[in-house]
Amino acid sequence: MQTPVELKNALPEHRPAPKIKLSRGILNVLLSIYGFVTLYPLVWLFLSAFKSNPEFYEFPFGLPKEWHLENFADAWNVARMGVSFKNSFIVTIAALILTLVFGAMAAFVLSRFKFRGKAAAMGLFLLGMLIPIHSTLVPLFIMMKKIHLLDTYGALIFPYTAFELSLAIFVTIAYMSSIPKEMEEAALIDGTGYWGFFFRVMLPLSAPALATVGILAFLRFWNDFAFALVFISKPALQTLPLSLSMFATGYMTDYRLTFAALSLAVIPTIVVYLLFQEQVMKGMVAGAVKG
Amino acid sequence: MKKLLLLTLMFVFTVSLIGCSSGNNKTANSEKTPAASNGNSAKKNEEKVKLSLWHNFTGNDLRATMMRDQIDKFQKDHPNIELDIQAIPPDGYKTRLKTVAAANEMPDVFMMWPGAMTKEFHDGGLIQPINALLDSKPEWRDGYLPGSFDSFTIDGNIYSATLGLTPTSILFYNKAILNQYNLEVPKTWDELLNAVKVIKEGGLTPIALGNKAAWLAQSSIISSLADRVTGTEWFLKAAAQDGAKFTDPEFVEALTYLQDLWKAGAFQEGFNSIDNTQMEVMFAQGQAAMMINGGWALSNLAANATPEQLKDMGATVLPSIPGGKGNPNSLSGALGSAFGLSSKVEGNRLQAAYDLIYALSGPEVQKMTLDSSNLVSYKAELDESKVSSIFSEVYKLVNSVERTPVYDGVMTSAGSDAVNNGLQELLMGGDPQKIAQKIQDAQATSLQ
Amino acid sequence: MTAKARIRGVIIVGLLPALFIFCFFVIVPIIWSAWYGFYDWKGIGAMKFIGFGNYAEIIQDPVFATSLRNNLIVVAASVFGQVPIALALALVLRQSTLYQRIIRSVVFLPMVLSSVVIGIIWGYIYHPQIGILNSLLDWIGLGTWKQAWLSNPNISMYMLAIPIIWNFIGPYMIMYIAALQNIPSEIEDASAIDGAKPMRMLFSIRLPMIWDTIKVTVVLCISGSLKTFDLIYVMTGGGPAHSTELLASYMYNNTFSIYRFGYGSAISTSIIIISMVLIAGSQLLMRRNTR
Repeated sequence: MQTPVELKNALPEHRPAPKIKLSRGILNVLLSIYGFVTLYPLVWLFLSAFKSNPEFYEFPFGLPKEWHLENFADAWNVARMGVSFKNSFIVTIAALILTLVFGAMAAFVLSRFKFRGKAAAMGLFLLGMLIPIHSTLVPLFIMMKKIHLLDTYGALIFPYTAFELSLAIFVTIAYMSSIPKEMEEAALIDGTGYWGFFFRVMLPLSAPALATVGILAFLRFWNDFAFALVFISKPALQTLPLSLSMFATGYMTDYRLTFAALSLAVIPTIVVYLLFQEQVMKGMVAGAVKG
Repeated sequence: MKKLLLLTLMFVFTVSLIGCSSGNNKTANSEKTPAASNGNSAKKNEEKVKLSLWHNFTGNDLRATMMRDQIDKFQKDHPNIELDIQAIPPDGYKTRLKTVAAANEMPDVFMMWPGAMTKEFHDGGLIQPINALLDSKPEWRDGYLPGSFDSFTIDGNIYSATLGLTPTSILFYNKAILNQYNLEVPKTWDELLNAVKVIKEGGLTPIALGNKAAWLAQSSIISSLADRVTGTEWFLKAAAQDGAKFTDPEFVEALTYLQDLWKAGAFQEGFNSIDNTQMEVMFAQGQAAMMINGGWALSNLAANATPEQLKDMGATVLPSIPGGKGNPNSLSGALGSAFGLSSKVEGNRLQAAYDLIYALSGPEVQKMTLDSSNLVSYKAELDESKVSSIFSEVYKLVNSVERTPVYDGVMTSAGSDAVNNGLQELLMGGDPQKIAQKIQDAQATSLQ
Repeated sequence: MTAKARIRGVIIVGLLPALFIFCFFVIVPIIWSAWYGFYDWKGIGAMKFIGFGNYAEIIQDPVFATSLRNNLIVVAASVFGQVPIALALALVLRQSTLYQRIIRSVVFLPMVLSSVVIGIIWGYIYHPQIGILNSLLDWIGLGTWKQAWLSNPNISMYMLAIPIIWNFIGPYMIMYIAALQNIPSEIEDASAIDGAKPMRMLFSIRLPMIWDTIKVTVVLCISGSLKTFDLIYVMTGGGPAHSTELLASYMYNNTFSIYRFGYGSAISTSIIIISMVLIAGSQLLMRRNTR
């Protein structure tokens, strides 16, 4: 798996003058500092999750004096995180699949064909990236009430998908349009047809772009508060972000429980990120092999 | 097929029910007395009554858990009432409520706030009065302290019965620090300025302030300070834009007093980017000698400060202002949130809703709220063993002084917003006259 | 003829699902919200049609002007901060050594953290009394530079731009890496063998090859910046005295806090229009650059 990667990367660095090595060294030091500073908030979050409230205020940066493991159990129970984890998984994954499938199909068409109305379609999809979502709350609420979609998983899945489609389409188009035209002609001569070409060639080749879209979409769906707040009312359907904000009263935040809950909720996002990131890098392997 | 039939039947049944109840309602509108519906309680027991309830008691603090227990208890005691309960995080509660209000889809019973929100909901025809309920439980109604229904009352109708009382402008002080500098608790404005000077020279912050959320200086400082200068009557007139304006010299003078306090170096650096919890911690840890804060601080302090820190704390009212028109022995205070009732609730659901509201705001709950370190606007005896010494002290203080209005409890939302931002500007050196003008404009425009 | 019909079929099948769900859940609410913008409406009760009245007020509203100015700072910080930094990081972090993988993951980390956590951490960095930045200045002997970073209206907006840049570098870096992987290895190899210097390679091969992606990220930067809301809301709440107010937070405040739903909707529509103008401008500029 790794061989083609290393082969390819080795090439530009084949002439490592000592000067380059030195600057690479300085670069690595800078990167490490940047990395450490950026990693710190996550470490801080996990450490704070083990503290008591007075301790959090008195020593915001120290290690916990006592490791309050019960914070996690309390947060889990009070915020009913078991239920909301399940719901968040269902909603996020369903919306993710819809976004990727519909987004990729639309991007394929928009990047490979010239047709009347193409510019209009692109302009329309652009609009989706511009509207601040809070101003769509009331219209969406009224619409979904009328079609009896409120208070179902669909009330989140469809709006999530719709609002993420713009980004999915634009990022994927940018990527697909750099795939050479000749490949398409070759595939058509082979008799695979357009959809065969899409599934067998375009999709695998676009994996890095789709993985990128996937990461961002996952994060957005997993963390969305506004839609989850307004479109779902059955406690049994509540998603995670609602659970996470249950410990703030407006006058005070119970940081002990908030951070414990946040720590639990952040773990899946890290896992998903690491998995998808591998996909971004794998695209390179596929590219090297096909070449 | 069977399902379809069943559904059709249910539909017909529901439609006829709605038809009936709305028919009934027209005749009983003016006298929706509980007695009337008690009469057919035998009938009522046969069918389940459905009610939706929205609240924001989601946290793990004493009060929130207590309220959730009460709701559970109500469900057990009333098997014929089916509650659709939604516990909504406080951060998003108002957004959620305003969205459904815009769509005219209010829940049946829900937490709402006095003042601006009650007025807007009333104007939009979304809520109905609960006078009938209060009149049916006179011992409960009469247990409330004077003025407890004020900002829930419109045209003589009461729309809600408050769950709590929030005094907003308590002057907390650290006894140890005042002793250390040989200072008395400041009773007059000059004493306060002198204390500020002495403590500042000693290298400590005189008054901790956390005004990031902007409403703090408005709710905690100006509500009381301005009342000292202008008197309550002037403020009520100005808020109604009836015979007084926020550009009047007395209000500008009040703003100037606050600005002078800031100029004297009373507050720590950067208070406009610090939130109220950080200010409370600063005070609790002895980094500041005083803090001007509301009743909410009590439960926060109980959760975040050590018992030793709590013992050093004392509480009093803001000092008097020379020549001021207001009563210096007063505290600004606001009624807490309460359960509102949707205007769409009628028929036997109305009685169920009354029962629910009573169960969640009645004398017992008031007492339990007090015991969980939250003040109430209700005659309830405090069990001092259950609360901190500073809480008992504030409890006694509140019961011994007059209560004056809080600015954002009386003004329109846009007007209060202008005061909030205006005070931040004032405490960065803004011109009191111009700020007063902005407040006046915002309040006048939003009243039209 | 049949080929044409087939292509038309592909276009319809490919676009329809995305277009349908997008129009229903995004376009309709946008139009609906724009329609509210023509009314004087509190969000409750009677609505009064006032034509362009709200827009006339927006033009004269000093707070709107401040918000717009602040927002342009954020846009500039994003376009000229995030894009180059993300691109540089992508170029040095696109290999798969363990070290690079770790740093790459870490760069992305702020994205997975909730804005509450980010806000608190940066609040402590900028804290006027116990802040890390002030302590650091003391330590290196620049004590006189100490500031209340977030409550000084002359600098607070710039100070806020830093966490915003830092927070959102990750996704752009990933997009650039994905695009860089897509450059056929033969092209890079060939130019390496030709002895092209790294800088030359960057400007004559890599940048042009990923230009489409860069254009898309600029669009994302602009639209994202104009919708920025969470982080500011947590860190300053738009204050003090509106000095860090942004368009989206001002819109939210009007819509959901002070009963000016119609005005808030008009602000929302203005955000869309301003975004479109900025995006059109940026794309025009970038088109010239390629020639």
